[in-house]
Amino acid sequence: MGDSQYSFSLTTFSPSGKLVQIEYALMAVGAGQTSLGIKASNGVVIATEKKLPSILVDEASINKIQSLTPNIGVVYSGMGPDSRVLVRKSRKQAQTYQRLYQEPIPLSQLVRETAAVMQEFTQSGGVRPFGVSLLVAGFDDNGPQLYQVDPSGSYFSWKASAIGKNVSNAKTFLEKRYTDDMELEDAIHTAILTLKEGFEGQISGKNIEIGIIDDKRIFKVLTPAEVDDYLAEVE
Amino acid sequence: MSRGSGAGYDRHITIFSPEGRLYQVEYAFKAVKAAGITSIGVRGKDSVCFVTQKKVPDKLLDQTSVTHLFSITKYIGLLATGMTADAKSLVAHARNEAAEFKFKLGYEIPVDYLAKRLADKSQVYTQHAYMRPLGVSAMLIGIDDEQGPQLYKCDPAGHYFGYKATSSGSKEQEAVNFLEKKIKSNPQLSYEETVQTAISCLQSILLEDFKPTEIEVGVVSAGKPEFRVLTTEEIDEHLTAISERD
Repeated sequence: MGDSQYSFSLTTFSPSGKLVQIEYALMAVGAGQTSLGIKASNGVVIATEKKLPSILVDEASINKIQSLTPNIGVVYSGMGPDSRVLVRKSRKQAQTYQRLYQEPIPLSQLVRETAAVMQEFTQSGGVRPFGVSLLVAGFDDNGPQLYQVDPSGSYFSWKASAIGKNVSNAKTFLEKRYTDDMELEDAIHTAILTLKEGFEGQISGKNIEIGIIDDKRIFKVLTPAEVDDYLAEVE
Repeated sequence: MSRGSGAGYDRHITIFSPEGRLYQVEYAFKAVKAAGITSIGVRGKDSVCFVTQKKVPDKLLDQTSVTHLFSITKYIGLLATGMTADAKSLVAHARNEAAEFKFKLGYEIPVDYLAKRLADKSQVYTQHAYMRPLGVSAMLIGIDDEQGPQLYKCDPAGHYFGYKATSSGSKEQEAVNFLEKKIKSNPQLSYEETVQTAISCLQSILLEDFKPTEIEVGVVSAGKPEFRVLTTEEIDEHLTAISERD
């Protein structure tokens, strides 16, 4: 990275040994809309709130959940513009792997490379950390997996996790409801119920997004109509 | 005890403040408002238009050289609200992107993709200390082959959205309130209705009736997808239609 005039890092240690820019980046994430992910026995679901600043915004033009490869999807909480940078870099990394090995990239490796990028921005000169946390979901030869990556660049594999606003309530709810032998359909219902917990206003297919991947290993984002169907089931 | 962000550095370059905000980006938004003009964009059933005030501060200025409307390609128009020099920089970049796209891929750049590229460039300025964010909010209009009429807005933070109607500048909030009421019923606006909604919105929030030389209007429509700036005569026709309607 190293921008010429700024060859010094902006993220430096405080006297108590903390990297405060990263803490502040986490606050930016905590101010973002809630996202969550749940790993089932036969797939993974990720979901997010899609609250728009005005009814004038065309909600069809916005896709918060993106696919990185045909079998890996990602959702973010925090600063949208920052997430686009990471999505682009991850897609390129996945393609580079594919070109070299003629095989789709394993999810854990893609997450590791993305996390490495985020870590670079906490140490390079003249840049600030990313103000997003990512939930990466995929299905490869190691089965269904869900990873969370934070602005510091640290990442963990989760059975279920939530990021953004209202995280503690969401996580408590998920802890109560999660079972290891949960199937994807149950996971989708649980995801919707968790989002509903902290949701202000009327939930509908237009103000949430849900992405799923099942054992057919194709990641897809549900259409608003499909989301409405699931919402009706949950009622 | 942590020293904080390095003695107030967070207000000078785009690093996080203790609350997790980027002050430089917020100040860039203020710069857009400080320009003192308001712009409106409205999307209709098969056309899109945007309108802005044309304030010429000095009688000695050549009026024809004062403009905030720029064509990026034959089919895409950009309305820049905010600091004029930053606007020119953004327009130059947009034109470059569009031309490269056409050269490499062989077809016209779609509006939403161009909006994304501009927003991505703005995002870089919010993350790297060496360049400040641009003090410009840009509205893009065009007719997409698959999606029809499109209105996009890119802001200094690197956000971009598609809109049914939107506004930028000093009276942005008042304009948005007006437009929300109009668009709530999801009307299918014809070309004339689109242009007149935009102009009457501007008139209503600024509480003045315009002369045709005091506003600039840019349009694209499905029948005539080339981006066009309306002449003073055409603007006059719309203004007359609005005052007769009222």
